[in-house]
Amino acid sequence: MDGTLNMVGMGLAGFGAALAIGMIFSAYLNGVARQPEAQRVLQPIAILGFALAEAVFILAIVFAFVL
Amino acid sequence: MISASLIQAAEGDANPLLPNFWEFLVVLLGFLVLLFVVQKWIVPAFEKAYQARTEAIEGGLNEAEKAKAEAEAMKAEYEKNLGDARAEASRMREEARAEGAEIVAEHKEKAAAEAARITEQAQQQIAAERASAAHSLKAEVGSLATQLASRIVGEALEDDTRSQRVVDRFLADLDADQSAQAGQTGAAQ
Amino acid sequence: MATNEGGFQPPTISETHLPEIFPWMAEWGTGFGKNMLMVILSVIVISWFFMWAIRKQSLVPSRTQYLAESGYGFVRHTLGRDILGEKHFRQWIPLLFAVFFFVLVNNIFGAVPGLQLPTFSHAGPAYALALIIWITWIALGFKTHGPKFIKLMTVPSGVPKWLLPLLVVLEFLSNFIIRPLTHSLRLMAVMLAGHIIVMLAGSGVEFLVAQQGGLADYGLGALILVGSIPLYFLELIMMVLQAFVFALLTAIYIQGSIEADAH
Repeated sequence: MDGTLNMVGMGLAGFGAALAIGMIFSAYLNGVARQPEAQRVLQPIAILGFALAEAVFILAIVFAFVL
Repeated sequence: MISASLIQAAEGDANPLLPNFWEFLVVLLGFLVLLFVVQKWIVPAFEKAYQARTEAIEGGLNEAEKAKAEAEAMKAEYEKNLGDARAEASRMREEARAEGAEIVAEHKEKAAAEAARITEQAQQQIAAERASAAHSLKAEVGSLATQLASRIVGEALEDDTRSQRVVDRFLADLDADQSAQAGQTGAAQ
Repeated sequence: MATNEGGFQPPTISETHLPEIFPWMAEWGTGFGKNMLMVILSVIVISWFFMWAIRKQSLVPSRTQYLAESGYGFVRHTLGRDILGEKHFRQWIPLLFAVFFFVLVNNIFGAVPGLQLPTFSHAGPAYALALIIWITWIALGFKTHGPKFIKLMTVPSGVPKWLLPLLVVLEFLSNFIIRPLTHSLRLMAVMLAGHIIVMLAGSGVEFLVAQQGGLADYGLGALILVGSIPLYFLELIMMVLQAFVFALLTAIYIQGSIEADAH
């Protein structure tokens, strides 16, 4: 078994990002279920939020491989 | 594959974040070519087809709309015509009733006038007849009186009973004569 | 892949970089690899399929034309009209269309037996595409709003003055540096992960069946093969989803440039 701690850190970051993404989409689904006509407004916001949350994990990947 | 992994293993593990410059370049150029093709040929073709379909559908819808409007107009016109016809009919009925009443009144009037005329005529005739009857009676009474007188004289008045008999017979003759004349005038009328 | 000394060795990321097919440019560091061939193949496939499908432009579409039109309509309406708005979306259809189907087809290559390598599991292609889109939306922003665009993108409205220095730096980093980075690396990371799973399953089965060779190992190998089937479909979903997300983010970034002054 070998490897670096970088990968452990990446995994932890992935945990956080996964939670965030799950929460974003659960809120999005709730919103759309309650008010289906709001879907057009909510979808870009949800995707943007998802992108931002995942950015954290992607930064973690970057640092895991760069550092 | 094994040789490649051996080669790369010798260089150390590849960092997945480091791009291969040639791949980068190929994708850049490939994507630009694709974008050009899409922009130049594919999207216009699809837009055209899309436009044609939209127009066809909208044209169909418009046509249906037009037909509907036409039907609506026709119905309105028909209803208007129907109303007109109804009004016309009732107007005619009213007119006919008025006319009928007028005719009846006229006829009544005419009939009354006729009746009056007939009555008057009848009365005139009756009067004339009576006048003529009276006239002829007057003339006859004279002659009858002379007849009677001559008879009485001719019989020679011997006694009262005889003269009484003569007068009675004369009167009966006169009666029969008059009744026969009356029957004659009734038949004439 | 796996050596038989000391048990199973998992495949490494290096192995996603295949040797060159035509090594005639190797002296400049690389050659003409499978990946580049697939990129060119994807360009040809997309161009050919859509031009062939729409060649008749019939009002009542054939099955192929219907398929192509629903793909086009998806990009046009879901990615274009719903996000960019009725006013602006027409001129961006080509870019969105090309991005979506380029990424989609290159991802699907990862699920095609024989090719079995998503182009975007390498960083280079993802960087290239994200770079094009990055340049596009920044140029669009400057064209629409002039130099004010920088201010619009970096100075958030409605925050206290003393926070601004910090926030401006953060916003600048997040909008101009991290955005294209995450845009490309998201795609790359997901595709790479999918590819590694496939490699792992493949090499694991190979190790168990070809190199260990016991009855239990045969069974385990078969089990991994069966288990990799759902994984394959999961990967298929991820491929389509990532293409969608990539194109959707492209649309959102473009919309952000058009309406930078709206929020």
